[in-house]
Amino acid sequence: MSSATTSSSEQDALLRAGIDRSLRHPVMFFLTSGAAWLAVSILLGIIASAKVHSPGLLSSCAWLTYGRVFPAHLNALVYGWGMQAAFAVIIWLMARLSRKECTMTGTILTAGHLWNLGVSLGVIGILSGNGTGIPWMEFPTFAWPVLLISYIAILIGSFIQFRVRPEGHVYISQWYLLAAMIWFPWIFITANTLLHCIPGHPVMGAAISAWFRSAIIFLFFMPVAIGAAYYLAPKVTGRPIFSYSLAKLGFWSLAIIAPWAGMQKLTGAPIPYFLPYLGAAATALIFVPAATAAYNTIRTMLSAEETLAVSPSLRFTVAGITGLVVLAAAAVFLNLPGSTLPLTQFSLSGYGFEILAIYGFFSLVMFGTAYFIVPRVTRREWLSSRLIKIHFLFSVYGIITVALITLFGGLQQGIGQEDWKQPWAAAASRAYPYAVANTVAWILILFSNLFFLLHLALMWIGLGRRSSHPTLLQSAHASSPHGAEGDIDNAGPATTH
Amino acid sequence: MSLPEQKPDLEDSINVSEAHGRLVREAAACVREKRIAANGSEPISLWVIALCGVVVLIAGGILGGAGDWFNYKATFREGYVRSAAPGAEDTGPQPKEALAAYMAKGAKIYSAKCNGCHGADAKGDGANYPSLVGSKWVVGSSEKLSMIILNGLQGPTSTGKTYGAGMPAQAAGLTAEDLAGIMTYIRNNFGNTTGDVITAEMAKAALDISAARAKAGQQVTGEELVADHDKALPGAPLDPKTMVDPVTLAPATAPAAQP
Repeated sequence: MSSATTSSSEQDALLRAGIDRSLRHPVMFFLTSGAAWLAVSILLGIIASAKVHSPGLLSSCAWLTYGRVFPAHLNALVYGWGMQAAFAVIIWLMARLSRKECTMTGTILTAGHLWNLGVSLGVIGILSGNGTGIPWMEFPTFAWPVLLISYIAILIGSFIQFRVRPEGHVYISQWYLLAAMIWFPWIFITANTLLHCIPGHPVMGAAISAWFRSAIIFLFFMPVAIGAAYYLAPKVTGRPIFSYSLAKLGFWSLAIIAPWAGMQKLTGAPIPYFLPYLGAAATALIFVPAATAAYNTIRTMLSAEETLAVSPSLRFTVAGITGLVVLAAAAVFLNLPGSTLPLTQFSLSGYGFEILAIYGFFSLVMFGTAYFIVPRVTRREWLSSRLIKIHFLFSVYGIITVALITLFGGLQQGIGQEDWKQPWAAAASRAYPYAVANTVAWILILFSNLFFLLHLALMWIGLGRRSSHPTLLQSAHASSPHGAEGDIDNAGPATTH
Repeated sequence: MSLPEQKPDLEDSINVSEAHGRLVREAAACVREKRIAANGSEPISLWVIALCGVVVLIAGGILGGAGDWFNYKATFREGYVRSAAPGAEDTGPQPKEALAAYMAKGAKIYSAKCNGCHGADAKGDGANYPSLVGSKWVVGSSEKLSMIILNGLQGPTSTGKTYGAGMPAQAAGLTAEDLAGIMTYIRNNFGNTTGDVITAEMAKAALDISAARAKAGQQVTGEELVADHDKALPGAPLDPKTMVDPVTLAPATAPAAQP
């Protein structure tokens, strides 16, 4: 290694460190408040799930009836956790990949607070009985312009960074992230204008709402998580992406297929006859972009198995990508019009699919990315590999349980619902054991995320480990809570700042 | 990776070992990062391609089911009532619209009680039996008509003509539902089109009014009808399109849930 390249690689490391430093508070703000919203959402989810099998629970409190808790749970999950985790990942990745320091920290933080205010008022609005009743858009109508304005203020800087980036290659992650940044306002403005400002026929309104939910998953959460996985896999392993042309195929097929999906939820409703079929076919075809992205990232990570075994980022990413594969398979098997599709319309299965997408795939990749980003922006290493392991194991076992029981139990419930000679209560009693298991699984997930929230908060206030060696998931050195240490520098010299 | 013993670059005023110390302290994570390597172009497994091909075929099959484009008839049928499934237990007669149900009941009573004199076409014979077609007392106020049916009629009819000894009372064996049916039937058949339904509730009131008459048991006369009974029977009017049980004439509570 010549002196010149050494110097330039050090300059480069300092540039990257400067970018990380400039984004310390925005990234930590979004991750920590997102994790807090995740805990709130899971708590609401536990209450909602418990009410399915024990309707008498908390029944005296109007604010906690099922019809309010359940939408509050999903909206807090989507806007409180999902969007904010995506903000943290997008602003950091776009700054790093465009090699530009963030100069809009104040704007981003102000808009971030505005976003949280909007979500808080929205959730309170739902719980106080002022929800709109439109799935995933239950926030009272005043909330959506607030969210839209803060969204633009948060991400406009990332657009500018991309525009003024040094000449060069546009990396795969940037395709996905840029596309997601552009698609979200399109989906959000379309659905909210068509449903709140110029409402048409209510049946078509239901179809638009179904499209909106599908589009948020496939056109925002999915590209953000795939983009993050395409960054982590080669970055942590140091190996090239397995196949560049396959990545291109995956991106363009997602862009072409995903906007058509969603209206299969309205099967049998008096909307134009082909729309549910088109939605079902497009949702099944999501398998193609999902499988190509999964294959590409997994093969990249498998090329460095020794890194894969110890890196917390990669472990979460692999779990999330596995969730993507399951999601892709479910997208095919739940959308066969002759057999399964009618069973998913009013049962747990539809919910299970959404939770699998948001938690089983998106959130796990976001956790993996957070485990990569946070040590860089805080300049501290994660405190304890044991906390990370607890977070991983409880999250993964929890989401596997939720996904299995809601997908499979939902089909059972759907069969009960289709048998119209039986009373509706028979379908509910079919779902009973699955609902109990669902509650238990959500409690596991809540437990894991309280540890994640605690760990994040400690990192943000600067209590992370000061060391030049990362926190790895090694079991060989069981005597040390941090794994193989190298030169621990806890009592080292203070930083020059 | 740079090593501290490497020579400082004297043309630059950077102290490399100090810079390196800063790097280790402040940018350790960035220093140990790996560069994103050039993009690979490994061959893609045939299994992945085949699997995607299978899914594309399945999706094509799904799309192939959407043959009717903008056709609403497959999903929306006007006036559709789900028929009982084969093997399903008998859930009783299908609900009918009120006007049709009352008329069907009235048609049976008419053929048993009225047909003999007024005739199958209700035109009477012009000499002994008057016509019901267009009669002001048939299509007029409902209480008047009910009193004639229940008590019979003596003296001149609405046209001023007297038909023999008049009409005998028909109250014997007539329930409120029967009376409601026959009244609805003659007011909406044979060219009469009042379009309203005399409900069982109204007919019940008619029975009560008839029993409370001053000259109970005697035939009514034209004078009495005009003086005492020229009004509509009490009771809430019924939308002729309401679905009712054709046997009991009670409103069918939930035709969709209990087909």
